Amino acid sequence: MQPGFSILCFQASADLPFLVFYQRKGVMHAAASLLNSSNLSLRFASQTQTRLSPWIAAPSSVRLPLNRSQNYRIALPPLHSTVSGDSTQPQQMASADVKAQDPRIAGISSAIRVIPDFPKPGIMFQDITTLLLDTKAFRDTIDLFVERYKDKNISVVAGIEARGFIFGPPIALAIGAKFVPMRKPKKLPGEVISEEYSLEYGKDVMEMHVGAVQAGERALIVDDLVATGGTLSAAIRLLERVGVHVVECACVIELPELKGRERLGEKPLFVLVS
Amino acid sequence: MSAYKDKDARINGIKDQIRVVPNFPKPGIMFQDITTLLLKPKEFKDTIDMFVERYKGKNISVVAGIEARGFIFGPPIALAIGAKFVPLRKPKKLPGKVISEEYILEYGRDCLEMHVGAVESAERALVVDDLIATGGTLCAAINLLERVGAEVVECACVIELPDLKVCYVAKFSRQF
Repeated sequence: MQPGFSILCFQASADLPFLVFYQRKGVMHAAASLLNSSNLSLRFASQTQTRLSPWIAAPSSVRLPLNRSQNYRIALPPLHSTVSGDSTQPQQMASADVKAQDPRIAGISSAIRVIPDFPKPGIMFQDITTLLLDTKAFRDTIDLFVERYKDKNISVVAGIEARGFIFGPPIALAIGAKFVPMRKPKKLPGEVISEEYSLEYGKDVMEMHVGAVQAGERALIVDDLVATGGTLSAAIRLLERVGVHVVECACVIELPELKGRERLGEKPLFVLVS
Repeated sequence: MSAYKDKDARINGIKDQIRVVPNFPKPGIMFQDITTLLLKPKEFKDTIDMFVERYKGKNISVVAGIEARGFIFGPPIALAIGAKFVPLRKPKKLPGKVISEEYILEYGRDCLEMHVGAVESAERALVVDDLIATGGTLCAAINLLERVGAEVVECACVIELPDLKVCYVAKFSRQF
């Protein structure tokens, strides 16, 4: 273990999930695993791993056999830090007060499945397809966004291909806004405007139909997850180029360690789960 | 089974919002563009309402939407009728364990995937896409669902291209 990184692991009883606490940069974090206790497997990802719950970030030299059974997020209660050092918890403070206390959040969070090593080793993929199988949690997800945006005079909901197409249209329909798909190149049939953006390796392009939105319209951008913020930034630029005011970006999930919120700068970001 | 033709005043409004883009994706194709329909809240809502009115109360527990435009129409229908939404995707997009169904294109083949465990045996399912052309993609979707024991009650599309022969006769619900 590296200095300053300590780990404590306990299990209250054979039937309870393992609850693991670890200290990182002076901040106490907790993560829980739904792994079967008789088949103990904790996945230790590399230091660059950003998705902390329900997995633990640790030096990559520590590896245990991976249990590939379905693993779900756990909505954690606010922590009481009992270790020395900074007791602030940035990722919790990044969440709006309302949603941190909304009782629907726990059900939404726990319906999201984490898939290790997808699309490549080291990535802990946040899979929302399991949320879509939970009719109550899916409806709650949409309701939470609709409650926030319905009286904000938003006339455009832009959804980013492809998972933004799942959450955007129900929100648009409920608030009476139009839905505008933001797509990969060559998918939209009409005249488009394009915005290039950077990926970890290389570049990609996002497109929007010319004439879909008008100058002066107020827009919401929707995607399932914000990581580095690169895709959302490209969507913001596309809309602002045609004179639209982007009121907010809305995602189900945020990966706070990837600092997408910072990359969006002054543009507000609202997430349900982080 | 164009159940709504000439009988529902909303149909013409919906039809008028669909834009035809010539020569996309290649010369000779008249592409039916539903993005313009999505820009009209009333007509978009009417589209969803017409599907919901048909399928609520039919004990449908699964709405399967075909990537990517089926993702736009499927979820609002699923939410309104209390069904789960299952995305059917191109290869390598779904992160978990999948089952795959290959199907024939005009030139070559493609593949549709669904998560293992998303649908249980004996569930009643609706398949949704924006448009049916040859029916190849819908057939693959039906096969995927039937392979896990689900009953495909109907396929629902906004648009049908009448001049292309449907290659597999299943239960289709057509709006136009």
